[in-house]
Amino acid sequence: MKKRKLIKLVIILIVTGFIIAGGTAFYMFNMPHRNVQKSKSDYSLSSSQIVNEYLTDANAANEKYLSDDGESKILEVRGIVKKISEDFNNQKVVLLQNNGDKAGVSCSFTLETNSDAENLKIGSQVTIKGVIRSGASYDDDLELYENVILEKCDVVK
Amino acid sequence: MKTTKTLLSILAVIFTISLYGQTSGKLVSSKSHVKFFSHTSFEDIEANNYTSVGTINTETGDMVFSVPMQGFEFEKSLMQKHFNGNKFLDTKKFPKAKFKGKITNLDQIDFNKDGSYDATVEGDLTIKGETNSINEKGTVVVKGNQIEVQSKFNVTLADYKITFVEGKPSTNIAKTVEISVIADFTKE
Repeated sequence: MKKRKLIKLVIILIVTGFIIAGGTAFYMFNMPHRNVQKSKSDYSLSSSQIVNEYLTDANAANEKYLSDDGESKILEVRGIVKKISEDFNNQKVVLLQNNGDKAGVSCSFTLETNSDAENLKIGSQVTIKGVIRSGASYDDDLELYENVILEKCDVVK
Repeated sequence: MKTTKTLLSILAVIFTISLYGQTSGKLVSSKSHVKFFSHTSFEDIEANNYTSVGTINTETGDMVFSVPMQGFEFEKSLMQKHFNGNKFLDTKKFPKAKFKGKITNLDQIDFNKDGSYDATVEGDLTIKGETNSINEKGTVVVKGNQIEVQSKFNVTLADYKITFVEGKPSTNIAKTVEISVIADFTKE
């Protein structure tokens, strides 16, 4: 009798274990992307500040802003709208670059937030929130300064 | 004398670029699409990146692309994390991939005449700090003041020391993946 009880307990434990493992695996596999706009911003700074941080010490800046798993820091960046364009995914791309800076911050919007980018005016000051994908640097082969890149952007109201 | 001359011309080039973003014959594109596609019997995996910057020099055929690796977006969040992680592309340590090369049949391409031209490109591809020379085919489409460059080629992950020895990624990610590139350039 005691033995049967023990076997029953073990079976229940194993089954529960499998359900939890399976559930976790299923959840992990289907885990949705982080919602950048609904997440808390990690840093708030001007486009000049982040560009200068990268041009001064790119390694230190990457260490500070990039994450191993690609879910890097969420930034709110203030700057002057220099250019508005569109990428191959029909997303609006707003370039924030202050006068005299060697590089700017390129902010890709999403199909959901595009309309907020359309209302922006060249030369106006704005704050944009997004996730950083890469930093600014001078590239010898391109022979130009690459911008800081933010994606999943929206205007901070 | 020669060094001074070279130095001066380099300075002049940098100066012009910082002023206008391009020199004569050199076009800059920030409108691009780089796609990663992996096929195995288990699943097809695709990731898209719209954040690359490229330059093409219509006079020399020089071509450069810089690809921010964290800009690759996957349908599944977990795949994206694996891709970025230090077992796969280690994008924190190697945030950018780069192609630096040349169009080798420049004489067969007329950047001033509308049309679709076959191009051969050779150069160095650097991913995760590993550089390999590649020689691929592509297409250059000229339409008015627009130039569109396209190419599709295969990359063997092991050539870039990207290997999975165990777990799901080792069976579900192809050993050779297909990369497609498209970039638009506008003539001034």
